[in-house]
Amino acid sequence: MSLLDAQTLSRLQGVKLRARAVMEGVLSGLHKSPHQGQSVEFAEHKEYAPGDELRHLDWKAYGKFDKYYVKRFEHETNLRAVMVVDASASMGYRSGALSKLEVATTLAGALSYLLVRQQDAAGLSLMVGGAFRDVPPRASAGHLNVLLDALEHASAEGPTDLGSAADHLAEVLPRRSTVIVLSDLLDERQEALKRVLALRQRKNDVAVFHLVDPAELTFPFDDPTLFLDMEGEGRIEVNPREIKQSYLEEFGAFLADVKARCAEADVDYELVRTDERLDDVLLRFLSRRGRRR
Amino acid sequence: MTFGNPWFLLGALGAFIPLLVHLFDRRRPRPHPFGPMAFVLRSQKRTASRLKLKRLLLYALRTLILLAIPFALAKPEWRNDAQAATVTHGPAATAIILDASLSMRWSDGTPLFEQGRDEARDALKDLLPEEPATVLVCTDTPAPPPTPGFDRARLRALVDEARPTYAGADLSRCLELAARTLEESPLAGKRLVVVSDMTASAFRLESPPPTVKGPTGTPVKPEVVLRDVARSREALDNHALVDLKVEPALQAGPRAFQFTFTVRNFGMKPVKDLEALVRVGEATLAKGFVDVPAGGTTQKALTVRFPQGGTVAGAVTLAPDALGEDDRRAFVLPVPRALKALVVNGAPHATRYRDEAFFVDAALTSPGSPVEAVVRDAEVGLREDFSAYDLVLLLNVAAPTEDEAQKLTAFVQAGGGLFISMGDRVDPEAYNQRLGALLPRALRLVRTSAERESPDADTKATRLAQVKQEHPLFAPFTGSAEEGLVGARFYRYMLLEADNPAAAGGSQVLATYEDGAPAVAVARKGKGRVALFTSTVDRDWSDFSIRTSFLPLMQRFAAYLTGSLDEHEAVHARVGEAVTLRPDGAQKVTAVRAPDGSELPLKAQPDSSFVVGPVREPGVYRVLGADSKPVPALDFAATLDPAESDLTRVPPETLTAYFGEDTVKASTGDTNKPAVPLWTWLILTACLAFFLEGTLLRK
Repeated sequence: MSLLDAQTLSRLQGVKLRARAVMEGVLSGLHKSPHQGQSVEFAEHKEYAPGDELRHLDWKAYGKFDKYYVKRFEHETNLRAVMVVDASASMGYRSGALSKLEVATTLAGALSYLLVRQQDAAGLSLMVGGAFRDVPPRASAGHLNVLLDALEHASAEGPTDLGSAADHLAEVLPRRSTVIVLSDLLDERQEALKRVLALRQRKNDVAVFHLVDPAELTFPFDDPTLFLDMEGEGRIEVNPREIKQSYLEEFGAFLADVKARCAEADVDYELVRTDERLDDVLLRFLSRRGRRR
Repeated sequence: MTFGNPWFLLGALGAFIPLLVHLFDRRRPRPHPFGPMAFVLRSQKRTASRLKLKRLLLYALRTLILLAIPFALAKPEWRNDAQAATVTHGPAATAIILDASLSMRWSDGTPLFEQGRDEARDALKDLLPEEPATVLVCTDTPAPPPTPGFDRARLRALVDEARPTYAGADLSRCLELAARTLEESPLAGKRLVVVSDMTASAFRLESPPPTVKGPTGTPVKPEVVLRDVARSREALDNHALVDLKVEPALQAGPRAFQFTFTVRNFGMKPVKDLEALVRVGEATLAKGFVDVPAGGTTQKALTVRFPQGGTVAGAVTLAPDALGEDDRRAFVLPVPRALKALVVNGAPHATRYRDEAFFVDAALTSPGSPVEAVVRDAEVGLREDFSAYDLVLLLNVAAPTEDEAQKLTAFVQAGGGLFISMGDRVDPEAYNQRLGALLPRALRLVRTSAERESPDADTKATRLAQVKQEHPLFAPFTGSAEEGLVGARFYRYMLLEADNPAAAGGSQVLATYEDGAPAVAVARKGKGRVALFTSTVDRDWSDFSIRTSFLPLMQRFAAYLTGSLDEHEAVHARVGEAVTLRPDGAQKVTAVRAPDGSELPLKAQPDSSFVVGPVREPGVYRVLGADSKPVPALDFAATLDPAESDLTRVPPETLTAYFGEDTVKASTGDTNKPAVPLWTWLILTACLAFFLEGTLLRK
């Protein structure tokens, strides 16, 4: 049994342990990766042209080749990433070892570890019952504990309101931030996802981790069941076998729609089943982002 | 529809189970908090109408399963007649025609007629209360049935009292009569229920089918329900004795007869070693075996020698089959008695062939003849005690004395037979004087048509011209046999006086010569008979004695004069027909008794004959005379119509086509036939419903 499967992770108490375990798994996988970090690093030489900054002249190259070369770098600035974790009541649903919220907080914790480790700023915005608990992005090592504590105490309650979250982030986030949304996206309002995706238009780098429980994907119910709405008073008594086909079609269409809209808005989309290995999820995510870059 | 196990129908209450489950099922569904409720709601809304239909179908299928299983276990039997009754639009006046023909006696355990009565009772039971009905028991001479009514008990009694006949049934006529009777009912619907074995002989398919007057007066076809009592049988096998001829077998003795009978096999299988018996009472006189191919005919002859004379009644029987009535044929046979004849030779001669009695003696005592002849010359013969003889023949005898004439008269009056032939020694005047009371006609004189010795004697000799072949004496001499009679040449013969109308009894001339002179005259005298032959019985006056007809004619003279030769016409009686009896003047008929002991109606006719019957059953009918004494000579046997033994059945499709496909509503049969296996269809339906229910559930 791997340390990183959902069953094992569920036995690790607290986000800190789970996030660290996932982060370790990610790091062990990265050494084979072509991904070479995101900080200020040398990228290539360029022949000097008038107007280039003289401080970037490579004198050693001049000594060797008797020509002026200018050093060029990948990123000139630090990365600011904010993880938006949906802690609505529906995120508390679990059919297996971990709830969607537990998976979301674990992923957010692991990402925080990775960001802080390479001295990028990591922040958090926790959506709880229509309110927001923000942890501003910082790159210090001590800030990691603050982030993990906030994730540790997250509990699922209240309705999903992605639209408000998007508005809130638009207000508080500086431009060109990286926004990582971890949510089940179960917001019935049509414009909610649209407003989240609109963050991309504000020069933000947006990524969506769409969390889905296996039961939501396969609808494995047999006996007559009274389904209770986790975010409202709704309830309905149905024979699941009778509506299974229809439900799977509806839910499949929803997933396809979300994926298509994300692709259209140039937003990274990652479907996350709560029963899969989270390090695989992160590696997949990082790999895709590396290819994009 | 009837049920073999009606108690299982209670199980049909189980059909309420799905309804009760639906009404009282209070199982609480498991609550389950679920995130994507919107999708559940949307799915539920999307499938609601389909689910409603599915639930309805499931409810119907489950109810069907729970209904079909107990119905199947109850073993329902589809009775098409009931169906027919229900397919009629509104009530219908009904006539039930029950076939009572001989073929309905066919039995392989239970006679078809018994099954037919059950069918008729069922048909009555199936009637709606508002349907008037009548019953017609169909025989060969059907009478119109009673007007349709509602007295079911009376109709049931009619069915209960019905008996099968020994004759055919004219079903076509019965249907016509029933159709006419149904017209008396004001109801628009008319129904004919035919209960029969549907044998071909019962229908006249060449005649138009029955019709009734419709509401507008135009003829319309009534509904016809066919209840085939023999439909469980592929074919009604039957063999029958269809013909019997009884002829004297003289080569085997004077009282020997050959019984030649014809056996026909109407079935599809050959019959081997079929036992055939000639029986009289309980005694078996002859026995044989016959093989009859399928659909074929075989003739067999058995010879029986009867120990004594008299009228014998018996039967030829075959080993019985399913229709035993036609395996037997009765006969009534006059067996000649042993006769003792006194031949009084008036002109004996040392040379045998010139002796007057030579040819007569040879003829009477030939092999097979029942006559024992004693030849005496005139002097001795006329002194004999005549009472020891049945017959006295006076051949060219001079006129007897007064005493002898009185003896002869007494002999004849007491029932004796007297034959007188002419010759040179006969004195007409003496004969007329002494035997005038006995002679059929008085003798006149001798006429010579040709001298025997003349060369043209053969051409001039006279011959017999007119012979009464209808008389029993000359009955065999027809066709080529007549040649031997008319070929004889007569050179000389005695002329007779004209008949004396005042004479008691009168005479009858049975044969004449070419000139019209009588050759043979007969008369009844008291209880006896006298025959007068006007020529000689040797070769003196004719060559008749050397003709082939002489021997049989002399034997028939002997039989006739002694009363052994029955003068009655052979009575050929067939069941269903009337019989005419023609008794002698001395015989009286007071009653005729059928084989079952019942007396038949007797109707005297102006010509002193009697019409009996019609006879209703095969067998020997006994005729009773004065003081209820049997008259065996008038007994007769009745036989079946061979056509009724042919049990070939009309195919149902032929009958349907005949009556009209739109009018033949149903065809049912006996209860032994497995009914339409409705329960298997019910089980199949339940299985199909079960399969569909499972399929629906999985969807």
